[in-house]
Amino acid sequence: MMDPILVTNNVLDGLLMGLLYSLVALGLALIFGVMDIINFAHGDFVMIGAYTAWLLAMAFWVDPSVTAIITVPLFFIIGIGIYKLVIEPVLGAEPLIQIAVTVGLGYVFQNIALALWHAEPKSFPAPWLNFSISAGGITLSVAKLIAGGISIISLYLIHYMLTKTKFGLAVRATSANREVAPLMGINVKKVYAITFGIGTALTALGAALYMSWGQTNPYLGQSFSLLSWVIVAMGGLGGVIGVLYSGLIVGVLEALGSTFITPSARLAVVYLAFFLLLWFRPRGLFARR
Amino acid sequence: MASMLELKNVHAGYGEFRVLHGVNMRVDKGEIVALVGPNGAGKTTTLRTILNMTTRYEGEIKFQGRDITRIPTHKIVEEGITMVPEGRGIFNPLTVYENLLAGAYTKRAQEKIEDSLEFVFSLFPRLKERKNQIAGTLSGGEAQMLAIARALMARPTLLMFDEPSLGLAPKIVLEVFDVVVKLRDSGVTVLIVEQHVKNSLEVADRAYVMEMGQIVLEGEGKALLKDERLKKAYLII
Repeated sequence: MMDPILVTNNVLDGLLMGLLYSLVALGLALIFGVMDIINFAHGDFVMIGAYTAWLLAMAFWVDPSVTAIITVPLFFIIGIGIYKLVIEPVLGAEPLIQIAVTVGLGYVFQNIALALWHAEPKSFPAPWLNFSISAGGITLSVAKLIAGGISIISLYLIHYMLTKTKFGLAVRATSANREVAPLMGINVKKVYAITFGIGTALTALGAALYMSWGQTNPYLGQSFSLLSWVIVAMGGLGGVIGVLYSGLIVGVLEALGSTFITPSARLAVVYLAFFLLLWFRPRGLFARR
Repeated sequence: MASMLELKNVHAGYGEFRVLHGVNMRVDKGEIVALVGPNGAGKTTTLRTILNMTTRYEGEIKFQGRDITRIPTHKIVEEGITMVPEGRGIFNPLTVYENLLAGAYTKRAQEKIEDSLEFVFSLFPRLKERKNQIAGTLSGGEAQMLAIARALMARPTLLMFDEPSLGLAPKIVLEVFDVVVKLRDSGVTVLIVEQHVKNSLEVADRAYVMEMGQIVLEGEGKALLKDERLKKAYLII
């Protein structure tokens, strides 16, 4: 029999991780929604972000989550640079070329990480937040609680930006019809660049929070990519709220699968549930009709 | 008096695919100018070329005396030209109100946003009723009204219409032409591309007939209505 306290603990753990996954996946959803490009390197941005957080944490001897103050603006600028150099030239190109470009970008990141830091995992040896609090048999990691809290605040801020600001209106108008948006006076290329910057900055934020307890290796990006795709595929049509719900579901499934089946099957559990969902809702959780 | 918009020997198309072969035309302040012609003649391409949305190989486009041939589309809108696109191009997931706000994105429009809203709601009271409705749920006629209202929010000096009557019921087509005349009378200069040749020539002050990427005939709207060649080609069916 499953222990109800263990199940509850896993669900709560999964919800916290789900918030972090939603944050990372939102970056992918924004980029896909606005410019119709699937960024296959998205998870690898998280991986590079994790190494950057680790390097800064080691250099300044602070908790990796604190380094987000530097890595988030830095990755915003890096994102815009990569957009200009790599993405903008292939905007009108065949999907296959776009796929090759972002997949290639991911491998470049992986190779750079392998060359610089080799395959063995890196983590910050003296994290401030890596302890737990317990109550009534439930034990939760403080680092994950903080990561979840910052994630949900960030999701809200992005939601606010999209629905309440002039730039957000430009983003949604461009996403709805990129041919017509320029007729409003919207500079579509600028919207693309900033959106890619924001999407990349979100990976850096997710990575810095994750490094408060996690460790990174050159292949960290794969699981973040896989989880982001499934979250966006399930919930992307529902905007920020859709991504949030979908991320929470994925987080819980992953936690339960990891504990009650086996940790190595956690992604399989998530994807099997996704395939099952598609039988009933082939266009995801939030498709209208 | 100098023309508001002037095209001189404009050659343009899409990449290698040339559509316009030396177009010369002008639009004066306060006019309704119609651009008519068969499918594939290059009418839409002409409008898109004015907005720098095509590949231009040769020629010059001047707006209010200024060369705009190398200015990006969004900045041309800031200069005071905009277009009601073919097929309306409504932002479906956004509300009616958000569509209108998007229309007023430019600096020139931002200052006058309240005035503009009042003006478009008086012109199209239905849109006011449906302000908070998702634009994708509007009927075809309402969506066309929204597309026109959204373009007006940009406070254009020159408003271009690309096939505004496409896919609309005959009664609504007449409404659209009524609106075009009203706008001209309120001081907006209009360039309209239409397949409804008769309707557009009736409201137009001047008109150009386009064939195979060139202007083949020009004159006053009502005079062209009586032109034998045009009658043969379009009107008597």
